[in-house]
Amino acid sequence: MASDLPYAADAEVSLSYDELEVLRIQYQKELAQGYVTVQTKFNYAWGLVKAPIRDHQVEGVRLLQELYRAEPTRRRECLYYLALGHFKMGNFDEAKKFNALLMEKEPTNMQAHSLAQLIDKGVAREGYIGMALVGGVAAVGTLLVAGLIRRATRK
Amino acid sequence: MAPAPKPPAPINCKLLLIGNSSVGKSSLLLRFSDEQWLPEDESSATIGVDFRVHKMDVKGKKVKLSIWDTAGQERFRTITSSYYRGAQGIILVYDVSNRESFDALPRWFSELETYVSDKVVKILVGNKVDKEFSRQVPTAEAQAFATRMNSLFVEASAKTSVGVKEAFTDVVERIMDIPELWDSAPGVGASAKTAGGQMPGGGNVNLADENEQEGGGGCSC
Repeated sequence: MASDLPYAADAEVSLSYDELEVLRIQYQKELAQGYVTVQTKFNYAWGLVKAPIRDHQVEGVRLLQELYRAEPTRRRECLYYLALGHFKMGNFDEAKKFNALLMEKEPTNMQAHSLAQLIDKGVAREGYIGMALVGGVAAVGTLLVAGLIRRATRK
Repeated sequence: MAPAPKPPAPINCKLLLIGNSSVGKSSLLLRFSDEQWLPEDESSATIGVDFRVHKMDVKGKKVKLSIWDTAGQERFRTITSSYYRGAQGIILVYDVSNRESFDALPRWFSELETYVSDKVVKILVGNKVDKEFSRQVPTAEAQAFATRMNSLFVEASAKTSVGVKEAFTDVVERIMDIPELWDSAPGVGASAKTAGGQMPGGGNVNLADENEQEGGGGCSC
């Protein structure tokens, strides 16, 4: 029963500092040598996207985008983690776009379906907050107007 | 907010599915948790990791299983090792109709040695017994190997659901027999702490629990 809740474990769990450091050092080393392997770059990008720090997520997404263009054989995982990265950053439109591309290729991919539900929830939550803000502004506006009217009538 | 934990807090239990690509790890999980099966052309290789929560009663205790289904593809090998943290049970899967997937097991076991405590419960699952006609791994051989590796053993089929429930319950029952694997207070504290989260019974709670367990020394790795 609880098992059908949408869930993306990779979005919630970050690596420890040391774990991410291992991936970063490997990446930096290869970068300094002038050739970064696809695997190293992907591993580091994955670690960055999972991180709770926004700068890391941004950098992770950037690396994934490069990989996506350069490495057709890695596209499905790049799409998934691009969607996940944008989801974590709250860029729901981008997240949806990448996830939709993955679902186009793999219509029965359950991880993508689960992520799609999470994104929709994120959009809905943002909508509620938006409505609350609009509602709040309207309420304040009403009070102001009411105050003005009261003042005007008192005179 | 109140520190008082609810009395019947379930025991949290983390299981990890590992094994070569295409042996049916995700299919076993789908059969176990949703009573479903996807034909081969509709299922896709797991990306990184997939995750499910499943509640069950074992030996009169409420257990909340968080099951981590890892990608078997070589390209995810580095990545998947990070999911071993805090696991109490490991389900090693091979395909009885694929000798290579069985021959790869020593590698998976040596990975386990690196990442988890030897107290962690292991079960070897020979999947796809529905393909009996093209079997490449004899039951007796696999049973002997499992015994040698100090792990439980069962043959199963995610397609026909033979042995699937046993595979999961056998591990959990064995974990229940080893209190030091699960009997730590932090789990309770963590669920109380995160009780204010949005989804009761949601995955968030679990992840916090695992972190706590790690810190509380629930696992000596």
